[in-house]
Amino acid sequence: MNRKQLLTRQESRLNLPAAISTPPPPRQEGGRFFNVASLCKIVWKASVLFLTVILSAVTGHAMSGREVYEKVHEVRSKMLDRKTEVTMVLFDKGGGKRSRTLSEYCKRSVPEGYKVLVLFRSPPDLKDVGFLIHARTFAERDLWVYFPEYKRVRRIPTTSQDDSFFGSDFSYDDFGGPPNLDDYRFSIIKEEVLDGRPCYKVEVTPKVRRKYTRYIAWVAKELWVQLKIDYYQDKELYRTGAFKDIKVVDTIPTPFSLNVENRKTGHRTELTIESIRYHTNFTDELFTQRSLERSGR
Amino acid sequence: MKKLYILVAFFFFSAAPSLAGDFLSISGRLDLLGSGALESDSIRESPSLTGRVKIDLAPSKWRFHSWLEGGWDGSVKRPARDHSLLKSWDEVYQSNTPFLEFKELYAGFTTEALEIRAGIQRFAWGRLDEYPINDLLNPWDHTRFLRKSLEDRKIGVPSLSATLSRGDWTFDAVWVPILVPYRLPLPDERWFGASAISPLARMPGAEIIPREPDLPPRTVGNSAVALRMRHAGEIDWALNLFHGYDPRPVFKTTALVINPQAGKVLIDPGFVPDFHKITVIGLDAATVMGDWSLRSELGYTFGRPFNIRQELWGYPTQPAPGTFPLNPIGRKSDTLDYGVGADYRLFEDCVLTMQAQQTIIIEQEGALYDRKLETLLWANLKTGWMNQKIETNLNIAYNPEHGDGMTKVNVLYVFTDSWKAGTTAVFFTGPPQSLFGRFSGNDQVELELIYSW
Repeated sequence: MNRKQLLTRQESRLNLPAAISTPPPPRQEGGRFFNVASLCKIVWKASVLFLTVILSAVTGHAMSGREVYEKVHEVRSKMLDRKTEVTMVLFDKGGGKRSRTLSEYCKRSVPEGYKVLVLFRSPPDLKDVGFLIHARTFAERDLWVYFPEYKRVRRIPTTSQDDSFFGSDFSYDDFGGPPNLDDYRFSIIKEEVLDGRPCYKVEVTPKVRRKYTRYIAWVAKELWVQLKIDYYQDKELYRTGAFKDIKVVDTIPTPFSLNVENRKTGHRTELTIESIRYHTNFTDELFTQRSLERSGR
Repeated sequence: MKKLYILVAFFFFSAAPSLAGDFLSISGRLDLLGSGALESDSIRESPSLTGRVKIDLAPSKWRFHSWLEGGWDGSVKRPARDHSLLKSWDEVYQSNTPFLEFKELYAGFTTEALEIRAGIQRFAWGRLDEYPINDLLNPWDHTRFLRKSLEDRKIGVPSLSATLSRGDWTFDAVWVPILVPYRLPLPDERWFGASAISPLARMPGAEIIPREPDLPPRTVGNSAVALRMRHAGEIDWALNLFHGYDPRPVFKTTALVINPQAGKVLIDPGFVPDFHKITVIGLDAATVMGDWSLRSELGYTFGRPFNIRQELWGYPTQPAPGTFPLNPIGRKSDTLDYGVGADYRLFEDCVLTMQAQQTIIIEQEGALYDRKLETLLWANLKTGWMNQKIETNLNIAYNPEHGDGMTKVNVLYVFTDSWKAGTTAVFFTGPPQSLFGRFSGNDQVELELIYSW
């Protein structure tokens, strides 16, 4: 499936009434305008539309949580061809701080996958440490990590995805592409204004076991980016993320300042995008184990 | 000249950060290490101060890489017998401090699919840690043997290498034109360990001076070649071929000479390092299964050299002045080595790494110390605390055939991006000829301060 087909499929998923207003099927041989199957289909779609309208009227929201996240997914998917230079500062509870600089390369790959290469440029003891993701789909990923100290590439299981990314408050998963929406349940809690922007406040619950049991995200309407996320372990808030300084780069809204805090330990990480370039169109050779060993050179 | 070298190295170390630019990358590290012996009668080691400077220059498709290491090596017995500053490719026993050494120094040319490198290189083939079966291109520096990491103990070799990538396939070819010998400590240094000549060292005034070997002629026929074919996929795997000199130390015997002279007893221990060619065909693979990261390695070696048990070498039971011819001690056998390793994440920032490997000596006719089946078990528990400000490691190694083992506990604290400090305690146990038991008198505690930039 090419990108255009993919987007068309996503757009059709986003726009339920449009799906219902598709032209009627052509007249069948034998003169019957409706066969039983197509009649059932139309009745089913009409029922769904009716229920959607009723639910929207009850909750007061024009969209469902899933639809909000399909929009977010669409924006994040557009971000997948990029090169980013990042500074990450880790703050201890006691005031001590450590800095890391990273280069991140991303490439969208067919049909729904992507590839990511993250390389540390500093500090000295992490220099040339690298992390490679090959996502065959948004749900299936292979991960490799390279430590120049050992000169060996190691495969790591995807169960490490929620672990701290090299001591920061970000997780390995935060450096991946958009998640597989089918792995979550979404429900809009309410609409709220955050940082002067109208937002959908959405509760997101993973269907499979994760480090968090749910998170609540503030998604900016129109931009379809998350401005704030609160992660919960059962009822306890354990991690918060705030995404600020949003600029539109090549029509893609991009938060340039990300602040994640672990509420349990008081440790905090500030990530600043120093530069970002979209539509990079990198070759597959950049995302190989050989490239990981050579620090992308 | 020696002072000039030190001055140049110091200049690079101190001025390098200000030289760094877009296509030039310079980094370095200074390491101050002190150790305290836990056994009162063991040979002591002085504090070490070593530094390394790495320079990477990558204009366009060309790449230049240099890794210079140097400093004062505390494992060398003072006063040093060798006063040369640069480490040599001609000698096995190099007792020089201060020293300088290029661990890596090469130029490379890279296209999208092909990379060619020429110069001093270190390679890391195979998948296993500690004793990778197919990682044979670099000889090891045994002067602080088990107290250095695998990569740190590798000696860079002059070589020409080519890597060709096509999709998921990668092909490597390496040619090492000259033999670079492994390095061994001197008998009066801490990491020489127990050996056949340990009783001789107890003679009053004994000074044991081992002889340097005559290295094999450096001809094209004596060069080493290695080929590797790799595939990346659900299972990453590689097929390896190596033909060259065995990087593991073995010896041949001459004659023990005990020569009293002006209050000293000069002793030629009667064995010299020996070098034999081997051919190894190997396979390695890695994959992920659920929470486990798995890797394995296998290698068949044709004609691996071994030494017989030390009690059969022919040393006199009561050492006395004179010359004592020793017995031939070399044997050869094909071997099959295989091993599996696994990483398991116990909880966040805590990984248990386990490894088991075995060697089958096909023609073990009873004179060898090594059994027909030798096993090595390793386990390492690495845990990060406080967002990796503190790292702890518990490392255990055990050989069930000889009952020898090593336990190592390490704690490292990260003060800032540049400063780290750590402490390590290491304990050895086992019979004197076994891998770990050789160092059973070398239990020690170490303190380390690291500055990197």
